[in-house]
Amino acid sequence: MTSTLPAAAPDATAPDEAAPAPDRTPSSGKRHLTVRPVVRFRGSPPDLILCAVLLAAILVVQGWNIAGYPALSDDEGTYLAQAWAVQQGDGLAHYTYWYDHPPLGWIQIALLTWIPAAIAPDSMDVGTMRLAMLLVSAVSAVLLYVLARRLWLPRWAAGLAMVLFGLSPLAVVLQREIFLDNLAVLWMLLAFCLAASPNRHLWHHFAAGIAAATAVLTKETMLVVLPALLVTMWRYSHRDTRKFAVTGAVTACALIGLGYPLYALLKGELLPGAGHVSLWDGITYQMSRPGSGFILDAGSGSHGVWQSWLYYDRVLPLGGLAAALLLLLVLRWSVTARALAGPALAVAILALVAMRPSGYLPAMYVIQALPFLALVLAGAVASVAHAVLRRFREPGEPALYTGVRWTVALALAAGAVLYVGPRWYEGNRIATTVDANGPYRAAAAWMATEVQDPGRTRVLVDDALWLDLVHAGYEPGLGAIWFYKADLDPAVTKTMPGGWRDLDYVVASPTVRRDAVDLPNVRAALQHSEKVAEFGEGEDRVEIRRIYEGRREG
Amino acid sequence: MIAAVSLTLFWMAAFTLWWQMHAWRTPETLAATRFQPPRGGTELTFSLLVPARHEQLVLDHTITRLLESSHADFEILVIVGHDDPGTAGVAARAAARDPRVRVITDTHEVKNKPKALNTALPHCRGDVVGVFDAEDQVHPELLTHVDHAFRSTGADVVQGGVQLINFHSSWYSLRNCLEYFFWFRSRLHLHAQKGFIPLGGNTVFVRTGVLREADGWDQNCLAEDCDLGVRLSSTGKRVVVAYDSDMVTREETPGTLLSLLRQRTRWNQGFLQVYRKQDWHQLPTTAQRLLARYTLMTPFLQAFTGVVIPLNVAIALLLDVPVGIAFITFLPLITAAVTFVFEVVGLHDFGRQYGLRVRLTHYLKLVVGGPFYQLLLAGAAIRAVWRELRGRGEWELTSHVGAHLTHDSREEART
Repeated sequence: MTSTLPAAAPDATAPDEAAPAPDRTPSSGKRHLTVRPVVRFRGSPPDLILCAVLLAAILVVQGWNIAGYPALSDDEGTYLAQAWAVQQGDGLAHYTYWYDHPPLGWIQIALLTWIPAAIAPDSMDVGTMRLAMLLVSAVSAVLLYVLARRLWLPRWAAGLAMVLFGLSPLAVVLQREIFLDNLAVLWMLLAFCLAASPNRHLWHHFAAGIAAATAVLTKETMLVVLPALLVTMWRYSHRDTRKFAVTGAVTACALIGLGYPLYALLKGELLPGAGHVSLWDGITYQMSRPGSGFILDAGSGSHGVWQSWLYYDRVLPLGGLAAALLLLLVLRWSVTARALAGPALAVAILALVAMRPSGYLPAMYVIQALPFLALVLAGAVASVAHAVLRRFREPGEPALYTGVRWTVALALAAGAVLYVGPRWYEGNRIATTVDANGPYRAAAAWMATEVQDPGRTRVLVDDALWLDLVHAGYEPGLGAIWFYKADLDPAVTKTMPGGWRDLDYVVASPTVRRDAVDLPNVRAALQHSEKVAEFGEGEDRVEIRRIYEGRREG
Repeated sequence: MIAAVSLTLFWMAAFTLWWQMHAWRTPETLAATRFQPPRGGTELTFSLLVPARHEQLVLDHTITRLLESSHADFEILVIVGHDDPGTAGVAARAAARDPRVRVITDTHEVKNKPKALNTALPHCRGDVVGVFDAEDQVHPELLTHVDHAFRSTGADVVQGGVQLINFHSSWYSLRNCLEYFFWFRSRLHLHAQKGFIPLGGNTVFVRTGVLREADGWDQNCLAEDCDLGVRLSSTGKRVVVAYDSDMVTREETPGTLLSLLRQRTRWNQGFLQVYRKQDWHQLPTTAQRLLARYTLMTPFLQAFTGVVIPLNVAIALLLDVPVGIAFITFLPLITAAVTFVFEVVGLHDFGRQYGLRVRLTHYLKLVVGGPFYQLLLAGAAIRAVWRELRGRGEWELTSHVGAHLTHDSREEART
């Protein structure tokens, strides 16, 4: 029997599993001694029960009608199709992978959908596979709760954060979709949880670095959140071991991150050159995407995106921003603000990046901000509650004062519920009842049954419907064609020397009609075709158009 | 094939790194590696063995320092060879000055450290036997702390920290110092916790009864310290390790690269001997036996790694291998990079702990010197295997010039 010496000082003993341990910040006079509440999530029944109940609610709201709302997005189709290519063993995409995004995101989607796709290959379409995102949402929501507790929020506030994150109509809509951002959020939340690990274990911090790198390789925009992660890790590590923990995490993150350029290097595609794609070109393209204008400039693209977020929910984006600002302002005085410095910083950075006038603001950008918005909003609410109920309270305070405090608190809470409740109810009612994808399904069914010889038919289709066509027997890549590849991918245009004449059909979904403006071949195909079927009406309609003098006739 | 080698190397390096960073795992672990502040006076008596061979330059200073100890009851047994009048003279003069010093003469024809220690063992009167080298600088409070550690933990063995200090001397001394830092500051504590520990050569304290029961040190082993630790822990003796930067025994690195190579060869050969003696087979659990096997093999695995990593990367970059395989060949490089970074941080921490100015050039030396040091280790490992196979088991002693002493006096002059 051998062992190391027992701890040197009484306060250095290992903390009791359940009891809060005092922070070992030396009372040097300047710094206040804060009690560090250690939450052992797995050993705490109230936490487990609360978390389970909220999780069930989130799963019901997000899962109900998940295939019907919101409308299928082109990007979802892209990622799922590439995940399908990975499953088929066709490499990272069925078209040439051109370093548009790091591939880790759809590799994960491929893994997530592997078993269902193996059992029922036809289920590999966007509507059905949204169910996989339900799993991602669930894990993220639980991680958010754990993180909230690790960032010292009281139980009810952690629950509030989870509700905001999982039930805000904006979150419900976006988290249902097969976006890389949702996966990246999961990894980033895991990184934050590990960074704020109550054990302050060196290898937890190291793992946080790995998780953060995974998040970035899942969706590269997560890069901007890394400073906030670093702040969190700094704050939640111990003075004596901090330098090892933080450098370890940074090293891990950098090394895993370097895996991506290393992959390009090994494939000989790091730097641009004739006849091949390159990582450099991919980055250059992403950095030079035309800006969508200043977000507050009505009429700019960014403003439109901003308005589309507010259309679904105002509470989380606006409330979260205000809360982050509040927390950053009271950093000096509020324990909660210091505990939540990392998430608040994340919100601030993401907000600043969104406000770049020259930047391109995609609709899913807000996804990576959602957990941090939820955390800071819940934190700010907790701060306000604390101020109302406890601030300046002395022992033996008259019952009247206490009564007033509670009245104010309950009035505020009731006001908030009265404001938020109806709006969220309406938003989530739409999300759980409206079927926005009937036209898509009908179009897919038509293409599967009405076309004579799918195997020899060439169709321009948007990414969201592409897999349905592939399942119906169209040749992936050159038979069923992602519509923009007809103009942008040399490997595809090469097979269409006659331009639109070499095609048979166009499935003109809203996306196709919108983007055709900049794509000559697609535009020509739309012009030289007649409508043979139409599903839905107005802007959202899906038309199936047959080319006048397609190959078959000509 | 390459992938298998790479994966093996990766896991080996990962485990080594994991253990090397043991002390910094959590703040609680770090706190537990220190000595407890002594309470309740001193109760045990100590016999301190100081084997000295051709060390007349440093011996007197060492004895003087030892005599300054605050502990109430201890004796110093200086062991000198019958053929070494210089050192014997210094020892005799010290004995004449202070009754607590005694001189034991070792008359073995062929001399080595375990023989010297065994010669003195019957003369020990204390409850606890402690071992120091002739060039060691021992902290005056150390014995009191060790006394308390014995009493508060009921340990059979207490291993104190040993630290090379003269990192500024040369590029290899820098790495050598850091090796000690990671070993005594961190890794040994893990071994103590797991119940398998190769003890250090000095600042090691064993209850006299336990030591006699174990028949002292193995005279034929080149790493008698490691061997003793392995034998004691294999029979379930309780070993406690404590490290306090102000309480460590300060030492110096070997003066030349060649002597470092010799010293390392001797250790490696010693490890090999301990491995072949198979005392560690008696360890109760499989995990412990695995740890023992791995630890004793480490020098050789390390040498192997040093050679294979560059080879692997070259293969991945120059030959046409599938991307997946190429990725795997990079795995050992990742652990090597992480180890490098932790070494840099360790150097910073080392400087902080000992109040030494570590400059940018030192960090550069550390990084640039890494591969060359690997070469040295590989050389020593190969040399050790060669010598063991040829049956050459004599001691190649390292001589000491006292670089750490001069450095220390400079330190004192500055403050």
